[in-house]
Amino acid sequence: MTISKLAAVATVVCGASLSPWLAAQEHDAHTAAGSAQEVKITDPTSVVLIVNRDSNDIAFMDIATRKIIGSVFLGNNVNPHMAMMSHDGRWVVTGGTRANKAYIIDVPTMTLVKEIPVDFAPEHLAFSPDGRYYYQGNPDGDSISVIDMVSLTEIKRIPGLVEPLNITFTPDGTKAYIGNYGAHWVGVIDVTRHELLKKIQIGEVPGVARLDPERYLGEIKGVSNASISNDGRYIYAADGDLGIVGVIDTRNDRVVKTIRVGADPWRAFMSHDGRYAITVNNGDETISVIDTAHNEVVATLEAGPDMTGVNFAAGKAFVISATSGFVYVYDMASLKPAGRIKIGVNLQLETATTDTADQTLYLASSTDHSIYVIDAETEAVERIANVGLYPWGTHIMESKDNYCH
Amino acid sequence: MHRTESWLLTLGPLALSLAAFAATAQETPEDADREELLRRIDELEQRVNDLESTAVMSEPETRVRRIEVWVDENGVEYDEPRPGTRSVVTYQRERAFRRQTINEKIEEALDDAASRSVAVGVDAAIVLQNVQQTGGPDADADGNNYELASADLYFTAGLAQNTIFYADIVGLSGTPPDNEVGGLTLLNGYAARLVRQNELNLREAWLMTEVFDQRLQLTAGRVDLTNYFDHNAVANDETTQFLSDALVNNPMLGLSENGAGLAAVYDPKSGFTAKLGYQQSSSAALNLSDSLFYLAEVGKLFTPFHLGEGNYRAWYRTDNSSGSNQKAFGISVDQKVTAALTLFGRFGSAQTDGPRDKFSSVGFRFANGVTFNPEDAWGVGLARTELGAGDEESLVEGYYNLRMTQKLELSFHLTRVTEEPLGAEQVSYLVPGVRLQASF
Repeated sequence: MTISKLAAVATVVCGASLSPWLAAQEHDAHTAAGSAQEVKITDPTSVVLIVNRDSNDIAFMDIATRKIIGSVFLGNNVNPHMAMMSHDGRWVVTGGTRANKAYIIDVPTMTLVKEIPVDFAPEHLAFSPDGRYYYQGNPDGDSISVIDMVSLTEIKRIPGLVEPLNITFTPDGTKAYIGNYGAHWVGVIDVTRHELLKKIQIGEVPGVARLDPERYLGEIKGVSNASISNDGRYIYAADGDLGIVGVIDTRNDRVVKTIRVGADPWRAFMSHDGRYAITVNNGDETISVIDTAHNEVVATLEAGPDMTGVNFAAGKAFVISATSGFVYVYDMASLKPAGRIKIGVNLQLETATTDTADQTLYLASSTDHSIYVIDAETEAVERIANVGLYPWGTHIMESKDNYCH
Repeated sequence: MHRTESWLLTLGPLALSLAAFAATAQETPEDADREELLRRIDELEQRVNDLESTAVMSEPETRVRRIEVWVDENGVEYDEPRPGTRSVVTYQRERAFRRQTINEKIEEALDDAASRSVAVGVDAAIVLQNVQQTGGPDADADGNNYELASADLYFTAGLAQNTIFYADIVGLSGTPPDNEVGGLTLLNGYAARLVRQNELNLREAWLMTEVFDQRLQLTAGRVDLTNYFDHNAVANDETTQFLSDALVNNPMLGLSENGAGLAAVYDPKSGFTAKLGYQQSSSAALNLSDSLFYLAEVGKLFTPFHLGEGNYRAWYRTDNSSGSNQKAFGISVDQKVTAALTLFGRFGSAQTDGPRDKFSSVGFRFANGVTFNPEDAWGVGLARTELGAGDEESLVEGYYNLRMTQKLELSFHLTRVTEEPLGAEQVSYLVPGVRLQASF
């Protein structure tokens, strides 16, 4: 009998008390090879993760030297979508969208230590605040896989969701809010039991929708993300078809306000000081700035096409316009446009992360296999070429702008 | 081991027996083989399941990529810069291991085909209006109904990087009330800047390109300069906002017809814009020097008094349409007060052979919630036109625009207009109207 099977038996016989230790032994066995290997990363905050979708690897770039330290190959046709580092910097996890697996990488040795079969098309993910669980969203499977970071196994699969795109834990780790892009509701997960507790409807589809079957019965654009306020009190959930942001009070899980924004908002991005939430509205190529103190739109500003994300740094908001080759800049003090940064022509810009000092952006550009490093203060741009094939996103440990699209 | 003992002591006899079982468990090579086979079967079942569920294409994806290489004097190409090499941009095929679903492949092919073709759009509208005279001597228009059908067929094609061609062919059929009311401004803005009705007209045909990091946009051809100058967020579109031309454009711009011209728009996306343009505005002109309008405009985004964003524009025009150079200036303002309420205002003054012509308009628009349906809007606007020759017009219009679908809108209008011709009695009309607008 393998140790993992023994752990399972022990769990059944003794309850949960014995299994963590046995799982830890298995975990140590998994990483035994890793521990014997050379430690390549001693400071996990010193690297940028780069998710290379088409070379099927996670690359590690040193922030100081801007050189690729190495990469972890996941396997052919894995096509990773998003990566995230655990809060302690020990692990990097990613979902292989076309392999239907979750992957766990040991950071110090840059070694792939575990492949875990999950549901269909795993994309976005999140760690619980205590780092114990990693929730992997499986949008095509309409489920979330709960990965126990002690045993490195999928301990539960939460069904009943509809194209779950993003996961947001409350700061106390008791609940997780799930954006369902295939519906107009946010799912609330009880993290202690890993069960879907509630479905919170963000807004009602207007009665006139019956006249427009092409729009409402075609491709649905529901809730892509539940963005949480700095104090953890409110969730801001943008709904694409309805053109609104629903504000949910996390104390009682009720929508306390519905804010109309521009057409087809993708999601709300929270400013680092917590004062504003910005939605990127791809339907009318604008951004809406929501004052979180009063929960109302205080500015609607012109932006660009196909916006994928917003990063905040040096008192500015940087809005990525995927197909135009521009990053639009807004001054967050005056809430006015402040120009745009030309990254290049014929590029497909993806998403960016911001360093923890809120000074530098690391923007993935897929079609030229590059990362563009943007100094938020001077808006100078440096290209780091050949980071891997089709970089889809970047991540820095504990950055406030770690997101995907 | 030390840790093991402490756990075992804590958990008691049951744990001890389990640990003993684990310690004594011996796996034979046959067991290991069986385990491996079972694992492989599980894996294969999973893969079959995945394939049945998602129908993926597993062949490597091939695409062409623009790359920078370095070439020495002998034509040898390097991936990195070397002494004696020069940088050259070239194109090269690459392969990537990426699984795509059949759906993704089909969508990609359709998008690619669409991007290479000429895009065709249609804007069609039917406007029904009734005129009720409310004051003044009997007029021909009193009690009459009017219907104007309009169809715009427009074509857009990408020609080069940041360069497009656009053409708009419009057909108008029917009669607007303006022929009988004879006001200073049009009660139906669809007929503005078009000379002939009941036949097809080429409204616009131009090439547009963007240069200097797309900060400067140049448009040349047959243009309608009102598309570039005197913008207003809430009073600038006869297809979804006010119907009266006085609440769509500033008549002091003086543009009566579309024609050959050029527009240059400088927009660094910082909230400031500068525009320059010229356009011929007479189909009877014999050369480009006749009836030529030059326009300049600056615009700036402000947020005064902690209000929402406000767009403030000022323009200047000079033209030789009357034989001598005449000048005009104007402003156009839209200021968001709340998320739902936007105020607007225009003012214009134009030089004539006599006293100056003057125009002003104000109003508001409600949207975002103060409506029956979320995407509806309604507004009220007032416009006053005073010609230097002495003719005057006052107009007030209210509308409600019901957005039924993304392609179909129905709006209801009520307009009251008072004409005060020089040397004649004042005459007033009430003009209810309905507009059905389709865009696809």
